[in-house]
Amino acid sequence: MTSDGYLYDLGYQPYEGEHLGRSGARLAIFRDGMRKVLGLRRRARTKFLPWGLFLIGVFPAVVFIGIGVIGGQFGVEEDTLFGHSEYFELSGPIALIFIALASAELLIPDRVEGTIQVYASRPLTTADYLGSKAAALVALVAGFMMLPQLMLWLGLGGLSNDGFLSYITSHIDDLGRAALATTVYLAAYLPIAFAVASLANRTSAAAGAFAAAFFGTSPLTAAIVDQGGFDIVALGALEHHPRYVRDWIFDANNNPQGWIPERAGYEPIVSLIVILAIAAISIFVVVRRYRNLR
Amino acid sequence: MSDPILSTAGLTFAYDDVVALSDIALEVPPGRSGLVGANGAGKTTLLKLMLGILQPGSGTVQVLGSNIPADTLKVRSRVGFMPEASCLPQDQSAADFIGYSAELAGIPSKAARQRASDILGLVGLAEERFRPMGEFSTGMAQRAKMAQALVHGPDLLLLDEPTAGLDPEGRDEMLDLITRIGDLGINVIVSSHMLGDIERTCDWIVMLDGGKVLRQGPIEGLSDQGIAEVEVLGDASAVVAALEAAGAEVRWEGRHIAVDHPDDPFIAVRNAVATTGATIRSLGARTTSLEDIFLAEETHDE
Repeated sequence: MTSDGYLYDLGYQPYEGEHLGRSGARLAIFRDGMRKVLGLRRRARTKFLPWGLFLIGVFPAVVFIGIGVIGGQFGVEEDTLFGHSEYFELSGPIALIFIALASAELLIPDRVEGTIQVYASRPLTTADYLGSKAAALVALVAGFMMLPQLMLWLGLGGLSNDGFLSYITSHIDDLGRAALATTVYLAAYLPIAFAVASLANRTSAAAGAFAAAFFGTSPLTAAIVDQGGFDIVALGALEHHPRYVRDWIFDANNNPQGWIPERAGYEPIVSLIVILAIAAISIFVVVRRYRNLR
Repeated sequence: MSDPILSTAGLTFAYDDVVALSDIALEVPPGRSGLVGANGAGKTTLLKLMLGILQPGSGTVQVLGSNIPADTLKVRSRVGFMPEASCLPQDQSAADFIGYSAELAGIPSKAARQRASDILGLVGLAEERFRPMGEFSTGMAQRAKMAQALVHGPDLLLLDEPTAGLDPEGRDEMLDLITRIGDLGINVIVSSHMLGDIERTCDWIVMLDGGKVLRQGPIEGLSDQGIAEVEVLGDASAVVAALEAAGAEVRWEGRHIAVDHPDDPFIAVRNAVATTGATIRSLGARTTSLEDIFLAEETHDE
């Protein structure tokens, strides 16, 4: 004898499980932002640029480590390789291009493809949406800029005549300075990139306009400042401000001619104020553009 | 009426100088309701006000008992919205995006993936869930939009022109899906300019025109005019005479006779048929399409 069997069609079930609320939503946007920027779970062509830039930025530091490990055995000394502030001369422009592409990728498709309407119908605020997207980019760029610095620090330790442990303990403040400089670069680049991306409808146009604004203002303002008489124009040298402040942080001089604001007689603190002021204006523009989200 | 899912009073909204909604007072009961009107009637504006995307110029909006804009986030956690325009990332799979949509409502990642799989099955996209949505047909895209609105288990679903761009077969399937979702106990408000869609899926209707409410109420009975329509086999003149003698107002409409009577037109027809011995082919209530009612209300309003 067999017992009677029953089939139950459960059909649609309302969700009655755990709810993480807004913090869960913010984390979801953060993770999705990282995936989007790195091209994960997307077509192969979307992975090419971010990973290419990442490798270009990190590869020299890997080579340094190699030199540190091998060269140490052949008497190569630490001051024959370039240091922390100099490395930003390589990673800074790459970060700028990376931020230009990534900001556009983070904001524009949501508007063009209409996905912003999904965000607008969820329990989220404008700050949740923009903050989580920005946090994803900050985490990636900070990682991208700090990873080579960390490798460099270890590599230089390997080359040090004082011994590895002695070097890394006595130069721990170099990492602090690198973190501070990274923050300055992020403050100089990211808000403007978001502002441009919030106004443009094409990712290539936004990335191009952002890169042009930074790379184009340097020769233009330099030409005017070097003529003399219009020093205030030096404040428009967007790309030189973070580099000037970075050298101030490291007490270094990576430009024998002097940075454009420097040539106009401005102190590094003025460059820092300009960075923060432009960041504040850019954030205002972005928040205003997205005010209808909540 | 049980607690309304949507309640507005004196609701007014304008885009700069253009008034989109003017002094709207609504009480929409639970169930499937239709928001109908021509393009520019104010339907989408009303949905955006319900979601707190737009702020009322004046008046009040209550959704599921909560006030907008004060309780916007609370309302959004209980509402799903299917917009008219596309809202799907072209390079993502339906499984990824619907799971992400669930996470945006606060559902943990693992549960969100499971939920996405279940809901994609419910809307008929189980087989296509790993395809990039850029490859979807219009019908599949509409279903995916519906899935993102449903995935977090809302108490109220707002559907803005859900049959837009669909061929007749796709439209039928979408309307069946809406009916099925309503039968699952989820409240639905369908915004459409297609009166037929509303008539087929909804129990309650709100007619909007030029930012004003033309009419609101249950669909049942809305089209019933209290007139009997009868078709008589053979010569009907004796039946007509008997009806007129009983005080009925009779009008020929092709082969049919429309019978209006101060008491009950059906009893008047039964008595006339019994008296004359005539044979009838059909007898029923004369109904008017919602289109006719909408046009009549518009004319009356002017």
